[in-house]
Amino acid sequence: MYAFISGPMVWIAFACFFAGLAFQTMQFLRLSQKKELRALPGKPKAKKKKKGKKAVKKKKAWTLAALFAWADGLFVRQLESLRTSLLGHHVVMAGFTILFHILLFVVPIFLLAHNILLRDALGLSLPSLPEALTDALTFVFLLCAFFFLFRRLFVRQVRAISGPYDYLMWLITVLPFLTGFMAYHQWCDYDLILRVHIIAGELMLIVIPFTKLGHMLFFFFYRFLVGTEYSFGQGKRAW
Amino acid sequence: MTSQAQPAVRSDEIKRLLDRKKDKMKFQLSHCMRCTLCAESCFLFKAHDKDPQYMPSYKVIHSLGKLYRRRGKVDRAFLESIKKIVWKNCVLCRRCYCPVGIDIPGMIAFARSICRSQGVHPDFEGDAQQSWL
Ligand code: HEM
Ligand code: HEM
Ligand code: SF4
Ligand code: SF4
Repeated sequence: MYAFISGPMVWIAFACFFAGLAFQTMQFLRLSQKKELRALPGKPKAKKKKKGKKAVKKKKAWTLAALFAWADGLFVRQLESLRTSLLGHHVVMAGFTILFHILLFVVPIFLLAHNILLRDALGLSLPSLPEALTDALTFVFLLCAFFFLFRRLFVRQVRAISGPYDYLMWLITVLPFLTGFMAYHQWCDYDLILRVHIIAGELMLIVIPFTKLGHMLFFFFYRFLVGTEYSFGQGKRAW
Repeated sequence: MTSQAQPAVRSDEIKRLLDRKKDKMKFQLSHCMRCTLCAESCFLFKAHDKDPQYMPSYKVIHSLGKLYRRRGKVDRAFLESIKKIVWKNCVLCRRCYCPVGIDIPGMIAFARSICRSQGVHPDFEGDAQQSWL
């Protein structure tokens, strides 16, 4: 069993992760192809014919100056949105969530144990952080995670919109870190914990594209879609 | 005479409307992290002693979210209960801020369209008498 979950299953998990992200992207793009508004009944149909290759599209001239002006405006707008967004209203929450998300990526990617496994499997690996550091960072990650859990349990507003699904997703996100931490410290039965860790890690990768954890991908789409000032780009993307 | 009786809700039509905007609406619903960070940006939430009912995400989850979950198979009483949420509890001022980028007013407006398609909408003769807050 160990051979399977630490061998083929890892590839299956990664394949599901990437294929799932690609599939969800395509699904989103396919669904967005359809025009949302139908032509009003009685509108002359002849107009459609004109839309040949020759249709003159008014394009902005992308001179260098225009590009700079655009980038400048974007920068100012992003700064403004930082001030008026959660950074300005929920400093504590913003701190925890930024830390949480950075560690979520940094710790497993630059973890010595993972990179050793990667080198064994592929012959190449990424640089690793010292183990004492990643261990401490894992602890910090868990603190952030428990901050979220307690918030969900005890803040009236958060509880009002939380259901079993939200706790399940919390668990799926946290379990790889919790079991990794326990394995590193050899708490309980090391062999068992390590197996749980590997399965938990694979589970997390597999479910990301298909659950609310998919916000990792869709975050970017939505930010292009929204029309208000906290959007990316012009916020008028029609896909 | 029973001419006053409302016609039955046409679930298939609701379903068709729901499907038409599945990309933006359903995906966004499923990616709402239930984090409540949008709450503070809604003045109605603030004006009601931070009553969770007035949180932007709560309003969307309990209107459009339920419509998607039930795949449009709802009755008139259900649409009437949504009516209060999408017209009275939200004024579509577009001020809510969501870090994930979820377009709450767009979704509330869509829930309104669905209600309207079944003839459910505020009756401004009667409802306007009530206080908006
Ligand atoms: C997919 C297959 C995975 C395998 C085969 C795997 C394997 C391992 C191994 C062998 C260790 C070392 C335990 C020790 O020190 O004895 C470890 C630690 C760890 N893993 Fe994984 N892992 C996987 C996925 C993940 C994922 C997806 C995450 C998080 C997103 C994760 C987070 C961690 C952390 C945080 C530690 C170390 C904690 C500490 O040092 O305190 N792992 N993993
Ligand atoms: C580029 C990638 C990502 C971005 C931009 C992003 C952004 C966000 C934002 C804006 C929130 C809402 C604020 C909050 O509740 O903290 C959030 C919440 C959350 N994210 Fe992410 N995220 C990303 C990747 C991920 C991944 C890969 C996972 C898990 C595998 C994840 C797990 C979570 C969890 C569990 C929460 C909810 C915390 C709570 O219970 O309140 N995120 N994310
Ligand atoms: S709408 Fe956005 S801010 Fe509000 S709970 Fe959902 S993810 Fe959080
Ligand atoms: S659009 Fe509705 S939910 Fe958003 S801030 Fe305005 S009243 Fe609140």
